[in-house]
Amino acid sequence: MNRKRLGVLGALTAAALAVTVAVVPGAHAANEIVIWADETRGPHLTSVFAAKGDWVPGYTIKVVTFSSYDALGAAFDKTSGTTGPDILVAGNDWVVASAKSGKLAPVTLTAGQKSHFTPSQFYDLSYQGKLYGIPVDINNVSMIYNTKLVKTAPTSFGDMVNFYKANKTALGLKAGLCISGGGMAWGGLSVFSALGANPYQMYNGRPNYHYTFDPAVFASNVKTYLLDANGKSNGFYPATDTGCMDNFLAGTVPYSVIGNWHWKTFVDKGFAMNLMPVPGAKAGTYGQMFGSVSGAFLTAYAEKHGVAVGAKSLLVNFFASTAGQVAYEALEGRPPAEKGAQSSPLVSDAQKGFGQAAGLSSMPQIGAFLGNNSGGANYWDSSGAYWTAVLVNGKDPLVEAKKLSKMWAKNVAAGKGDL
Amino acid sequence: MSGFVRGKFAFGLKLVLLAITTAVLALLTESAYAQKEYLIGTFILIAILALNFTYLTKYSIPLKFFVPGILFFFAFVIAPILYTGTMSVYKYQTGNYLSKPAAIEQVLILGAQPDAAGTTFDIVVGKNSANQYAILVSDITNNKYFISAKTSRTPVPVSEVKLNADKVAISAPGFKPISLNVLASNNSYANIRYFYEGKYYISIESETVGAVFTQGLSYSESTGIMTNLLTGDKYKDNGKGNFAKIGGTRDQILSPGWRAPVWFQNYTRLVTDNRIRTPLIGVFIWTIFFAGFSVLSTFAFGLLLAMALNRRMRGRKVYRSILILPYAMPSIMSILIWAGMFDSQFGAINSILHTNIAWFSDASLARGAVLLVNLWLGFPYFYLICSGALQAIPSELLEAAAIDGANPRQVFRKITLPLLLQILSPLLIASFAFNFNNFNLIYLLTGGGPRDTLDGHVAGATDILISYTYQIAFGKNIQDFGLASAISVLIFILIGSISIFGLRRTKVLETFE
Repeated sequence: MNRKRLGVLGALTAAALAVTVAVVPGAHAANEIVIWADETRGPHLTSVFAAKGDWVPGYTIKVVTFSSYDALGAAFDKTSGTTGPDILVAGNDWVVASAKSGKLAPVTLTAGQKSHFTPSQFYDLSYQGKLYGIPVDINNVSMIYNTKLVKTAPTSFGDMVNFYKANKTALGLKAGLCISGGGMAWGGLSVFSALGANPYQMYNGRPNYHYTFDPAVFASNVKTYLLDANGKSNGFYPATDTGCMDNFLAGTVPYSVIGNWHWKTFVDKGFAMNLMPVPGAKAGTYGQMFGSVSGAFLTAYAEKHGVAVGAKSLLVNFFASTAGQVAYEALEGRPPAEKGAQSSPLVSDAQKGFGQAAGLSSMPQIGAFLGNNSGGANYWDSSGAYWTAVLVNGKDPLVEAKKLSKMWAKNVAAGKGDL
Repeated sequence: MSGFVRGKFAFGLKLVLLAITTAVLALLTESAYAQKEYLIGTFILIAILALNFTYLTKYSIPLKFFVPGILFFFAFVIAPILYTGTMSVYKYQTGNYLSKPAAIEQVLILGAQPDAAGTTFDIVVGKNSANQYAILVSDITNNKYFISAKTSRTPVPVSEVKLNADKVAISAPGFKPISLNVLASNNSYANIRYFYEGKYYISIESETVGAVFTQGLSYSESTGIMTNLLTGDKYKDNGKGNFAKIGGTRDQILSPGWRAPVWFQNYTRLVTDNRIRTPLIGVFIWTIFFAGFSVLSTFAFGLLLAMALNRRMRGRKVYRSILILPYAMPSIMSILIWAGMFDSQFGAINSILHTNIAWFSDASLARGAVLLVNLWLGFPYFYLICSGALQAIPSELLEAAAIDGANPRQVFRKITLPLLLQILSPLLIASFAFNFNNFNLIYLLTGGGPRDTLDGHVAGATDILISYTYQIAFGKNIQDFGLASAISVLIFILIGSISIFGLRRTKVLETFE
């Protein structure tokens, strides 16, 4: 290899390096606030910041969109002290693990800033007494009824069951009530709760640690409303959510629990937003549903990146403000968490309908309790397992309810330390 | 054409490609070092040197062919194995992701405690008369204003401050505000703890808000002790990646923790932790059966079809094309479609059979479904392989056997099958290893279930070792990479041993030699 050839190689390498450096995105700029979000939130945030980018003077805002919520989670799992976003927009169920692992940083709000939100919303975003983010949008479900099948809103759980039994054959109903949104555990809480079982209970805005649901009452309701005399499922409430939305849209299920991120699908198919919580066993009572919030979280990396103050300012100026949430939710379509935005005329009736349903009967989604598995399994796994055991495998509802009650009580007791 | 591979053009092209590769790798090296990934950076650096040395000299012609493969082999086979092995002796789980220095830094940050009232103030950032960074603080509730720097706090009479409509001070004598645009480009003011009173300081929470804190924890590098300054409690490294309270219970630890070597603790947990140990044997037996039966059934069915279509018949090409279809379709799609078909309420299978069978709720039915779906997914592969292998068996052998009076069954048993097994043994062993770790099928079809969740069972009836590992290592609220690595190492050793044993028994490697 002569010198001339080496020189040529050197020159080529330098040129290639220059091109590569220009093409490959570099490290985050010193005054650039980087936000990570999933495939729905990301594009909406990008649009909002493209329209108005001066929420924090002197800083630019860059939104990185991931192909899915899982992809976002996988990427955030891989972040270390030297990489990552400054702000993460995600569900509250990541708070405990991420805060415990030192990936999130606490934020302190003034009393005035806190007053923009319902106090219980902060439970969703806290770990060991520290707040890690700003409530952005409310994630909740609501029950919708098909007015082509049912003329009036049910006043009790029994109303719905009676309708189903009376019209099952004539209307070709495949089920009475099913879960279209949020899955059997998250979306299905309202059914558990309507029949008398909650994983925990709030009292005066705080968890009531003495609460455990009464397995006898719950099992009695399950027997009355969901089982035939022979102890098998009467078909009113399927143990899985498979096909639920399609069947509701096809008019073969009169009642369905839908997620607030789905309302456009139903409206587009000609359904009116007849929304209400799942009615309870007693007339006038309702099952509680998770009225959880997604959050905009400050990461520990923001400090390393040198934009912690800018990122905190963005959290306050944009995510915690009426103007910010209205602009964002106009595109995202979920009910905003911020009180001013909730009453804004720019927020759609459907968004407000979900908000009202949440206001009637919702409970915060406390990850420290729900994700805890000290009782043998966490809420997410055990709730679905109950319906499978009773509705599919024909096990005794009382025996299984006792196991469930004991399990949830242990999880809450063990999760208390994480709050 | 010869000019393309030999002449000046070829040499020029080689230089360009080498330059591009070197440039990209150089950038990756720089990035790796910048992120303190020294091992990765060094490896890429060595790769750059190796590539340039190999292709710019005539030292070794074979090396020119082998170097890329060797580098990829190290990067994507050896390195992950070594990394997994290393992680298996670490406590590496939710709560213990960071390095120890990073964890200490984070613990100290989290140790900052707000004052009892949660006091916050409106602030303006600027510089004081001594040209130090300072904040002009508005205590609106008490109608008091002051300038706070790192070590001092100077009250400013109300009459001397200029207020905005919200009674927030925007300027004061001896204080020069800095515009927010300027602050954004210089972060040095942000980490200063501005003096408030006693042990309390004001921390900047946003560009216009400060909050009152006190440092609740302090760390002594010389003793390695973390002290709670408010209660006097002391915490020391418990050797398991956390600061634990001296004289406290096991749960009294500070978060976050760090990745700490725990040597063989992850391995011993496999036999000492009841939740893991109890179901492990059952899962192991099912894994062996599942992998073995899957190999046998897919091989047998594939061979049967290959033999059936090995003779001339009308529409043979159409049949062959149809049989390959399950293989051509992405397996994930197939599995999900099968999962839908098996659905107890709306599935096609129950609909066709007019039954209401909960396929995935009964252990035996679920296992049967798993084996059936795996047969569907796997037989086209063996059909293709066997079709080729059958044609490779010399027809003279079969004809000679027939002349000697052997019937078709004897020809198959004594000649065809042994020769096929000789040829296909490595593939059968590879298929066994693949099915041993067939995570996709189990996860997407049954999720490892059914399992008696309400009885606290972690393992499901169709869980194989790898899905069981996933279940215990990546539950909803914890990710235990250390434990997962330990099980992965055991699976690796197990499959490696079985493969080596199988290959030795079939003497395939000797034949190749």
